[in-house]
Amino acid sequence: MSMKNWWKYLCIVLLLYTVFMGFKGNVPKLDILEQSIRNLYFHVPMWFSMMAMMCTSMVFSILYLSISKIDYDIKANAFAKVGFVFGMLGILTGSVWARATWGAWWVFAEVKLNGAAAALLVYAAYFILRGSFDDEEKKARFAAVYSVFAFAMFMVLINVIPRISNSSLHPGNGGNPGFNSYDLDSSLRMVFYPAVIGWILLSVWIATLIIRIEKIFRKKHGLDLMERH
Amino acid sequence: MELEWRQKTALGTIFIYVIGTTFLIYLVFQGHITIPVWIALFWIIALFTTVNAVSKSFTKDANEQFYYLRTIATPTEIILSKVMYNAVLITVLVLVIYAFLFLFFNERVENAGWFMCTIILGSIGFSNLFTLLSSITARTQNFVLLAILGFPIILPLLLLIVKMSELSNFAIQQKDIYMHLGAIALLDMITIILSVVLFPYIWKD
Repeated sequence: MSMKNWWKYLCIVLLLYTVFMGFKGNVPKLDILEQSIRNLYFHVPMWFSMMAMMCTSMVFSILYLSISKIDYDIKANAFAKVGFVFGMLGILTGSVWARATWGAWWVFAEVKLNGAAAALLVYAAYFILRGSFDDEEKKARFAAVYSVFAFAMFMVLINVIPRISNSSLHPGNGGNPGFNSYDLDSSLRMVFYPAVIGWILLSVWIATLIIRIEKIFRKKHGLDLMERH
Repeated sequence: MELEWRQKTALGTIFIYVIGTTFLIYLVFQGHITIPVWIALFWIIALFTTVNAVSKSFTKDANEQFYYLRTIATPTEIILSKVMYNAVLITVLVLVIYAFLFLFFNERVENAGWFMCTIILGSIGFSNLFTLLSSITARTQNFVLLAILGFPIILPLLLLIVKMSELSNFAIQQKDIYMHLGAIALLDMITIILSVVLFPYIWKD
């Protein structure tokens, strides 16, 4: 047990706490939401994690563009992959929640939903773009350029458009009360913040594993990790 | 760059494409549509036309021209001239679509002035986005890639444009119009800045 991995233990503890409190803890009694408020600890942190992953991926893309080290490209790709999976989980958990409270798996009037789906398409395109190049260096460079571009549009999509269009069913949008108004005795917050940190740590952990696997794979097949320039 | 002017046949092709698509839509819908459908169709045709028109803007440079261009111009000059050329081209194409849709369906949005603003700002945005993306996809052999990369990325802009088009047909508050026009203009700015910053990385080889 080295102290280097303290954040992994923290992650495990926080997520155990989240899952335990999520299923067994006390939640405020609310109309319509009822017990489904427990999804707050799972659905919302998925998006936080996805944004954290996409942001990290973009930072590594910018790093790659300034210093052409293939290492950065591997990292950018891994973080985007994990972000994509968390985005899918966010949509799945959100869909279940929407069925329980809004009455349908998918609601058109909900800009955030459509924005999230489009964001996933943007990153699906990123992976397809990566697949279209044979040359390692070109692949990394063009993917990095696209990634920076995609992230800017991703931010507009999920932050600007929902505010302008004003037709969201989510709390805190379109005249709906924010979650603060539900959280009468701060009991939600006590679990929600640890949950966010726990899920983000988990996503970072998965990303580091993917990076290690990729590096081992490259070593085994004799692909160098050296700079190409 | 006036290099594009040499490709007159390519221009002819894209104009015929526009007219053909519009006529097809007219026949399929049997001549009757409502304004919201009209707006939706209008921008869908505009989007597909843009993809077809812009996808050619870098493939032609793949060989000797590419090296020639690199010796006479900086990346910033090249991307700006390409974006400008494409913006003008798309605006003209969109106006042609507008004219034909008006001719066939005899319907148009209420406030043509605001709609013109939308068309011009929208075309600039389309041009910014697709010019950069086409410079990426021109290097692959995958021709569907431009649409795959472009459609999700264009979505924020497209949503704003469609909303703005509806507003120029019928707006309750003048304030909404300014806000949406401002947002589209802001997106245009962001995309052009990103294009100029990122293009040198695509161009060097």
